[in-house]
Amino acid sequence: MSKQFELNDASVVVVIGSGAGGGTVANELSQKGIDVVCLEAGKRLGLSDIVNDPAVMMQKLGWNDTRKGTPIYTCKTVGGTTMRWSGITPRFQAHEFKALSTYGQMPDTTLIDWPFTLEELEPYYDKAEHKMGVTGTHGIPPSAETNNYKLLKAAAKELGYKEYTSTRTAINPVARDGRAACRQIGFCHSGCAIGAKWSTLYTEVPKAESTHHFELRTEAMAVKVNHDDHGAVTGVVYADSDGNLHEQKARAVCIAGNVMETTRLLRNSASNLFPDGLANSSGQLGRNYTRHLMFSTLAIMLGEVNFHRGTRQSGLLFDEQYHVPERGFNGGYLIETVATDPVTVAAIVGGWGESAAEYLANYTKLGGLWVTGEDPPQASNRITFDDTEKDQYGLAVPTLHYSYHANSLAMFEHGKKQCEALLESMGGQKPVTTLDVGGGCHNMGVARMSVNKNDGVTNRWGQTHDVPNLFVTDGSLFSTSAAGNPTLTIVALAIRQAEHIAERMKHREL
Amino acid sequence: MDSETTTRRRFIVAAVTASGAVASGLNLALLQNASAWASATDDDSTASANVLARMVRLYYPHDNVADDVYVQTVDSILSAAASDPQLQQLLDVAHAALDSAGDHRFAELDAESQLAAMTKVQDEAFFTAIKFQVLARFYAHPEVWKAMNYPGSSVEHGGYVERGFNDIDWLPGGGQ
Repeated sequence: MSKQFELNDASVVVVIGSGAGGGTVANELSQKGIDVVCLEAGKRLGLSDIVNDPAVMMQKLGWNDTRKGTPIYTCKTVGGTTMRWSGITPRFQAHEFKALSTYGQMPDTTLIDWPFTLEELEPYYDKAEHKMGVTGTHGIPPSAETNNYKLLKAAAKELGYKEYTSTRTAINPVARDGRAACRQIGFCHSGCAIGAKWSTLYTEVPKAESTHHFELRTEAMAVKVNHDDHGAVTGVVYADSDGNLHEQKARAVCIAGNVMETTRLLRNSASNLFPDGLANSSGQLGRNYTRHLMFSTLAIMLGEVNFHRGTRQSGLLFDEQYHVPERGFNGGYLIETVATDPVTVAAIVGGWGESAAEYLANYTKLGGLWVTGEDPPQASNRITFDDTEKDQYGLAVPTLHYSYHANSLAMFEHGKKQCEALLESMGGQKPVTTLDVGGGCHNMGVARMSVNKNDGVTNRWGQTHDVPNLFVTDGSLFSTSAAGNPTLTIVALAIRQAEHIAERMKHREL
Repeated sequence: MDSETTTRRRFIVAAVTASGAVASGLNLALLQNASAWASATDDDSTASANVLARMVRLYYPHDNVADDVYVQTVDSILSAAASDPQLQQLLDVAHAALDSAGDHRFAELDAESQLAAMTKVQDEAFFTAIKFQVLARFYAHPEVWKAMNYPGSSVEHGGYVERGFNDIDWLPGGGQ
């Protein structure tokens, strides 16, 4: 039985969300002896709830409440999106922390630099990689080479690329830290049925519970953060599974609900002191939404690939990640392998009729690549709310507005050519490249860290500019998107934030 | 299944299998009730189901997938539409558009003219919207997976760690 705290215990830190950001910051704080109550909107599943059926798992894991505009894919379950992710964990590059300085004032963007450098984050990347068990780091062996990765490797060699690897994945190649070794099951984005892939559900959360400084409340949907006359937060109001409201008093609050819920919660906490939303004196809350340029390329190869056998994403190619303006765009992209189920393949292939059916009949011969690339923030890419339409919690339904920047589309054209050339170099026929495959899985920027408090919602620690005891702990923090998969950086930032909070508490500054 | 549903289903089976290329998989037992057939033709919703049934086959024509899988796809979409007015409206729009795309009503066209009618409306929003309804069901069907050599769930077989996750054998240099 884990610890239970009283609702009126104002000494606890309330963490909202139990995914990569929330689960990590909660565990890190409780390991330091700080009492934490974690409010998670979803249920707590066990490994036996995980089946190899994407549609079923979408129902079990997904955040399926009404949302409008461009779709995003987030999770309402203990573990959050660490249940759905594929485990790819590259570090961001030095230049990506200085987007504005490196790329200059790009038209129609709201670029800024991060408030710190790669160098400053490196020790936390080390800690995050060690925590998550990232292959090829800290003495952890590389991931086994799957068929699809071997295809990427052979193609990369053929095209003269140099930096390809089956490392940088938070899936155990050998048993480690109480978690099993990967059995190449596939379906990584539908939850790992044996727990080989890192998820806070079976790492951070139980570890935090064993400290007796942590309580997880499931089906607890945070609806409002309260504050006092001085503008310090005092507690969090949440709805339980029956819709009854409770207030958990708090010494400090960390919000990690992914971009949509983080924005909505702060907005719903508006008051006389903060008329545009809590901690939103800058007006930047919900703005500067950024995601990655994402697309997928498939081709029918000469022989069987059977990419469904094994991890969904099993390797990366770094050569295109650098900033090389001669290519006609700023920033770069990573090429990764991807294996998808027949439904997704049908959507990617597009078209209809005999040609589509024939393509799909070649399922076992398909090679699959996927790209994630830097996407500059724009003022028009943002979350808005329609107060006339409420959801089951009585909260306004959010709308996401997103359109591609010309830079992202130029990057797409370049990446499409390279991905198709890779598969064609190994005899691939009929390459098909489809934009937006996976779009909405990497969500960032809506409460971004900024040096200037007019440019963003949070400072270098993820502490809101306006409210010292209020923190943001998810991808909403990212000042810009960089190119790589975001989870490792979310975890690194959460570890760093926990250290900062503990330090401030020690000095009685929180 | 109530009698109306049964009737509709029989008609869908007939529509799905109307193309000569796929008639071999037809279960004739499902078509034996001639009176049901006759009454169904007067029914708007059955006519609409008939159009959808032909659409599904034309979207994704796989020779080695049994007709019943197509029938199940249509059934599933129709039962979803029964409680989803937006989806029902999409189907109605498609029906109307396809009926006016050829020289005769869609259901009365021969296979080649039906394909031409589909091609004529392929840029309409409803065409893609219905296609996604179809593909999400059809390509999630285990029988379709079998036809594609996709085995589905693997965890109960211990994954692929000992079953060929790295057995690719045709890359240059053995893929090393």
